[in-house]
Parts: sequence; C-alpha cells; structure tokens
Amino acid sequence: MNNRQRWSLRNIILIALIAIFCGVIFWGAGFLYTGLTVMLTPLGMAPFANDILMGLWCLAGPLTGYLIRIPGSAFLGEFLGSAVEVFLGGQWGASAFISGIVQGFGSELGFTMTGYKRYNWGTLLLSCLTTTIVTYLWDWFRSGYNQYGLLMNLGLFATRFISTFVFGGVLTKLIANLLDRSQVMDN
Amino acid sequence: MTQVVVSDFTFKYQHQETTVLNHINTTFASAAFNLLVGPSGSGKTTLLKFIAGLYPQFSHNAATGSILFDHLAIDSLSEQQRCQQVAMVFQNPNQQFAMDTVQNELVFVLENLQTPPAQINQQLNAALSFCDITDLKKRELNTLSGGEKQRVALACIVAMNPAVIVLDEPFASIDPTSRQILIKQLKELQLNQQKTIILADHDLSDYENIVDNVHQLDSTTGKIQRLTPKASQELFATFNQQQHDLPAVSLPDTTQQPIVTLNDVYVGHPKRQLLHQDHFNFYPGKTTLITGHNGIGKSTLFNAITKLIKYQGEISYQQQNIQKLRNLKYAQQVKLLFQDAENQFLEITVQEELALAKKHRNNAFYDDQTIQQILTQLNLANHLNQVVYSLSEGQKKKLQIMIMLIMAPPVLLLDEPLKGLDLQSIKVVVNLLQTAKEQLNQTQLLISHQLVGLAPLVDYHVNFADQHLSYEGVSA
Amino acid sequence: MNPGLKLLLTILIALEISFTTNLVVNLVLIGASLIYLLAKKIKWLSLLKLILVPFIPAFGLLVSQLFYGHGGPIYAWILFSRIYAYVFIGATFTITSDITELALTLEQNFHLPAKFAYGVLAAFNLIPKIQAEIKIIKTAGMMRGVPLHFWSPKLYFKAILAAISWSQNLAEAMTSHGFVEGQARTFYQPMSLTLKDWLSFGSILVLVQLLIIFAPTLP
Repeated sequence: MNNRQRWSLRNIILIALIAIFCGVIFWGAGFLYTGLTVMLTPLGMAPFANDILMGLWCLAGPLTGYLIRIPGSAFLGEFLGSAVEVFLGGQWGASAFISGIVQGFGSELGFTMTGYKRYNWGTLLLSCLTTTIVTYLWDWFRSGYNQYGLLMNLGLFATRFISTFVFGGVLTKLIANLLDRSQVMDN
Repeated sequence: MTQVVVSDFTFKYQHQETTVLNHINTTFASAAFNLLVGPSGSGKTTLLKFIAGLYPQFSHNAATGSILFDHLAIDSLSEQQRCQQVAMVFQNPNQQFAMDTVQNELVFVLENLQTPPAQINQQLNAALSFCDITDLKKRELNTLSGGEKQRVALACIVAMNPAVIVLDEPFASIDPTSRQILIKQLKELQLNQQKTIILADHDLSDYENIVDNVHQLDSTTGKIQRLTPKASQELFATFNQQQHDLPAVSLPDTTQQPIVTLNDVYVGHPKRQLLHQDHFNFYPGKTTLITGHNGIGKSTLFNAITKLIKYQGEISYQQQNIQKLRNLKYAQQVKLLFQDAENQFLEITVQEELALAKKHRNNAFYDDQTIQQILTQLNLANHLNQVVYSLSEGQKKKLQIMIMLIMAPPVLLLDEPLKGLDLQSIKVVVNLLQTAKEQLNQTQLLISHQLVGLAPLVDYHVNFADQHLSYEGVSA
Repeated sequence: MNPGLKLLLTILIALEISFTTNLVVNLVLIGASLIYLLAKKIKWLSLLKLILVPFIPAFGLLVSQLFYGHGGPIYAWILFSRIYAYVFIGATFTITSDITELALTLEQNFHLPAKFAYGVLAAFNLIPKIQAEIKIIKTAGMMRGVPLHFWSPKLYFKAILAAISWSQNLAEAMTSHGFVEGQARTFYQPMSLTLKDWLSFGSILVLVQLLIIFAPTLP
C-alpha cells in the first residue's frame, strides 16, 4: 500500500495515462457538445450545453483522486485531462489550461476536506460539490453568468451539480467498484 | 566480465496459487550468451526483472533467496551501481521509451547516467552506429516498426554500457531480418566487449550456433535447469523439425462463393507498406491458416478485417463493403480472438464471463451440460469464481477460447490461439474448433506459430510474403 | 521566448481577460495574436480551424446573453470575442511550442521534479497508442455484444487496466534506462531563461495592463 500513496514515477505515469484516456474519450464525445449547443442556441440556452456536460469534462479529477490516494492526484489528473484537449486541438485554446486548473482545484478541495483519510460515497459527493461551486464561480465571471437572472442561474447550477455528480460521483464509484473486485490495484 | 548466480530463489504472486519460481539455482556464465527457454507463463519475465533489479522497487511480493552479480547482491546495489551492472530490453517495444524521438531517448538515457553534456553526442552516435541505425536518429519513435524500436532499445543499452544485458523475448513481434541483425550484434557485444547476455525466447530459430548455454524453466515444477550441450542440441533439433510441420493441404476451389473478399487493399504507413493486395478471397466453412514471418503484418490484416485500423481499398463480408455495415452488427458476425486474452474480457469472474457469452451468443449450440464438460476438459471447472485477471496465462487463453466458441460467430479470426497452452489443452481446443466448423459451418482464419497438433484442423494454407497473400498447396 | 514563460504569460493574459469586460481589449489582443501567428507563418488551414471551431460555442453564448442577459448587446459581444481571444492567445503558445521543450524547461528552469516532467512526457508520447487502445476496447466490447459508450463504467475500467499495465511497463523501462527519482541528471540541451526572456515577458504584461486601463469602453 505504501507505493500507492506516494508520488512515485509509476503513479505519476498512471495518473497521466488515466487523464489522457479520459481526455481522448471526451474528445470523441465532442460532437455531443457541438450538437447540444447548436440545438440550444436558438432558445438562447446554449450555456446549458456546457453545464449538462460539465461532469464529463470533470471526470478525470474525482477518478484519479479516488483511485490514486495521494494529495494532489485529483488536481494533476484533472489538469492533465484538460491539457490533452489543447494538444488534440480543442476549441477552448489556452483557457483549457485555466479550466483545468480551476476544475482540478475544485475536485481536489473535496478530498482535502476529508483529510485524504476517507474514500467513500461521502468523499465523492463532497468532491463533486466543491467542483460544482468552484467551476460555477469561474463561469460567473468568465462566461458572464452574473448577467443572468436568478432562475437561469439556479437552473444552470442544478444542471451542473447533477452532471458532475452523475459522472464524477456515480460513474467514478462504479468504475472503482469494478477495479476493487478485479483486485488489479492491489499490487 | 560478470557472472550472475541465482541461488535458492523463490517467488510467488499475491493472487495466484502456484509458486512461479520455486527454489531455483542456476549460474549465467560470465561473458557468455545465455538463452533462457520455457513455456509462456513459466516465470521467465519475472526472473529476468528480478535479475535486472526492477522488482524490489515495483512489486511488494515476497521473494526469497539471492541473485548475485559476481559477489554483489542485486538488491544491495545503489541505483547508480545497478545501471553499471545491468540493463534490460523489454518484450513490448511500445512501452519502453519516455521521449518522442530516437535521439531524445538516447540523450535521456545518457543524462540519467550523468554523462557530461560534451560527451553525449559522441556516445550517442557511437551507440547508433554500433547498432547500424544512424539513419533513424531523428525519427519519431511512434513511426518506427517493432523491429526498429527494438534496435533503438538495444542502442540505449549499448550507450549505457552495463556488464550484463537482459532481454525478455525481444523479438516477439519483429521481422526476421531485424531479429538476425540483433542476434548478431548481441554476439558481438559478448565476444568483443565481454558482456554477459541473458535472453529469454520461445522461438529457438537462429540460436543454435550462437548461444553458449541454454537454461530451461519448467512451468510445472517451477525449477530451472542448465541443459547439457547434447540436450540443447536435441531441443534445437526438435524445434527446427516442428517449424516445418506445415500440414499438406489442397488449394481452394475458386468457383465457390467467398465470405471475405479483399479488393485493392492497401494497409500500412507511408514509410512502411504491409499489405498491397489487388484481389483475394477467403472461403466459408473452412479453416485457413495464414503463415508468414514475424512483423510481416498478419495481425494487422486481422485488424483491417475487423475495422480496428484504417486501410485503403475495399474489404467485403458476404459481398457487402464492411464499411457500410453497422459496427455492432458486423461485430456479431466477424469476431477476433485477440492475441492478448485480457482484451476479450469484460466481466470480473470466470462465471460472469461465461454468463455474458451465453447472453449474446448467436445460437445455443453449446448447452449448459456441454459447457460444463468443456470446463472440466480444460481444467477450468474449479475456477468459476476466480477473478479472470488472476488466472494464469494459459487459463486466460482457454477461457477466452471458450467464450468465443459459445458465442459461435459465423466468422472467427484467431490470432495465436494456442499460445501458452499445454499439449493436452491444444488437443481439446483443436477438437472444439473442428466441431464448431463442422456443426456450425464456422469460417476460421488462423494465425499461429504453434503448428504442432494443428494439422487436423487446417483446410487451406495462405502464405503472407512481400505484401501479398497467396494460397499454397496442391490442386484439388 | 522560453516556452515555460510563454505558457505562464498566455495563462495570465487569459485569466485577466476573464475578468475584464472591454470589447476593445479583446479585439486588440485577437489582432495582436493574429499578427504574431501570421509572422510565425501559421498554416492557412490551421488558421481557418482557429476561426471556425470556436464559432458555435461563441455564438451560443452570444445569443444566450442577448436573450437572457442583463448586460446588453455590447456585453454579449464581449463574451463572444473573449472566446476568440482565448483561442488566438492559446494558439500563440501551441503553434510555436514543443511539448518536449516545455518539459525540459519546467525541469531545468522551474525546478519541477524530473519524475513529473518525464513521467508526464512519457504518457503524452503514448497518445496515438491510447487512441488505438480505446478503439480496441470498444470493438472488443461489440464483439461480446456490449457496445461501450462514454458513460459506460466498463469502458473506463478497461482503459484503466491498460493504464495500470502500461504505467508499470514504462516506469520499469525508464528505471532500466537509468532514470532514478530524485537523482541528479546532466542536461544535454540546457534550456535558457535569460534576462531577455524576462524582459519580453514583463513588457508584454505591462502593455496588456496599459491596454486594459486605457482602452476606451464602448457605450
């Protein structure tokens, strides 16, 4: 277990590889974002495309944080997951680096608040909550959410939290359960 | 000039019941070319990684006994001393480099050894030139063939200049020319620079007049044995004979309707053409064996037929372009038995894998009773609740074949289906494949280095050479 | 400019414009980046991609602000142009920087431990293999009758299994190639972080501040 809890070369490569796998998988789902945006634009609801898929962009953080239990692993995983998008030619350019930092900070915060001691549903829920709050604050400024009315903001926030919880919470837990049963993380 | 002495060495993996290496004792002679042989799953890789000093750091499983480099225990050396003593070339050419280009990787290696920057250029060029790959210096590693990558891996070792060079099946998927060049260069390193070579391989061709000692690992006892010269000779003789055990078959009747057709198919990279075939038919309800040198593109051909890679031209299944068939539907018809069994698994336990296979099978030819019989024949019946990833390589292979048989696809591509199987299991598996062909009219395309025991199954033989496929045999 | 410093600069500028609501600032930054990209002989196709790809998200944000925002049309156009500013500023980094050099400078000049620089680099160099592996996982799933989508736990489970074994292989190979965590290494290609780098970094940053302070705001 010792090896699992330190910044060994192997763990760094593992976090990076998981992040890149996630990044490449989301990259394949990029059409979904474009499609949703195109559909929602005539209604003026395009920001919902972003918030519906937010959990997907933020999966790498909770996943690496939950699987490789080192302080900072969630941040590194999420940041690298976003950096991959830049190198694959993502549509957000340099802001993907910043999003990565913001999202990484958000997911890491949840694990920090449990002192990196407990790894269960509660931890994931907390990490999803901190991710939602931190990234929402960021979009408050960056994407002009501060100019929307209360109702729109409530809707966006709820959408974002549900999405983050579905992917960062439920999906992460299901993946972790499979890995636990397969015993492959043990050595 | 360093000899490696393994004494009373024992090792067992955490989740596996058998002891891989069981109180083994052997001496790899100094400045000699030592060949390590043994069936897959016999623990060759494990032993080599311990010799290379890689396991104390990466694995927490208890090992007892000792490995001595002359009089120094490998686990007592500092990292820097270890690098002077031993370095390793790995089986998988794709996961042994950190950098993007050949030059950058060699620079990385020399920087690690704290080589003064002023000397790096000269040492780097010397290593490339010794390995005769100066022309690859600026190339990106991702664009190299498996054979080229292994030659770069050897260049890294030459640059490091350790006393002992360990190689773990380095030629598993590389072309025969690269293989011969590498063996020649290793021999030179042994004779002219007194390196101790320890190389594991299951393919024994080209070694007969090269190696000084053969060490054989026995997978059932977990023991190692240094063969006498006479025993070594017999081993080589048996191997050479088996290589020519190609079954005598007839040419196909070309008037029958084909099942898979290639038309003007081109597979490969701009720098490396693998297959360029104007027209070729595979015929239904038969087993077609495809042979050809390593690295020629046999697995790549299977990847093209299963839409795993892009290709130019047209591949049709039952006269329909496979690019126009829906992926899921096509995958129900044409299935690939992957060379790496783990690729096929989707569940956790043996029982769950079998249940999933039954759920999505094409027909219920194998009822529960038959499945139970096969499990018993393959010695898997007592492993139903075991996690598939903790099975031995042979058990994984057997389970994988069972899954594919139960699913009973009309076309089954098999990439090295007998790898790691004992003779008894080979017999059972060949029988099962024969039954599937006869009872279900299954079409089987087969790539296999292992030819022993295969003869009764094979109907047609295709030779893959010079980017072309051609049927061999006598006219019917 | 030193790639590490350049990355820092693009991140800082992108961060600043996220909190700046001025259309002129965005337009000037886009223009300056465009001139820089043209001077660096950016390929026309890449430039076309830079213009087309962000259009859908930028336009979506624009329409949404026009419909539901309280900031008025200028504010909507600020958000629209902000996305283009991100993309163009980002391109000044990605088009002219090499990931290997970035890793080298982070190791040498910014004192990132070598295990992070080379561990991450080794993983990034496997991107083509990772793309192929995802294809294998999905195809193998279909051959078992189970299509795997981006919401399927098993897709990630199989990907992580591959990542576990690859990380082990890579770490072993790098160790066998003499890489030791925490041990000193020599530098064949010393990356420089010169006064000139810091001066251009500083002056660009000052220019951007001046722009933000003095740029006229449109009504």
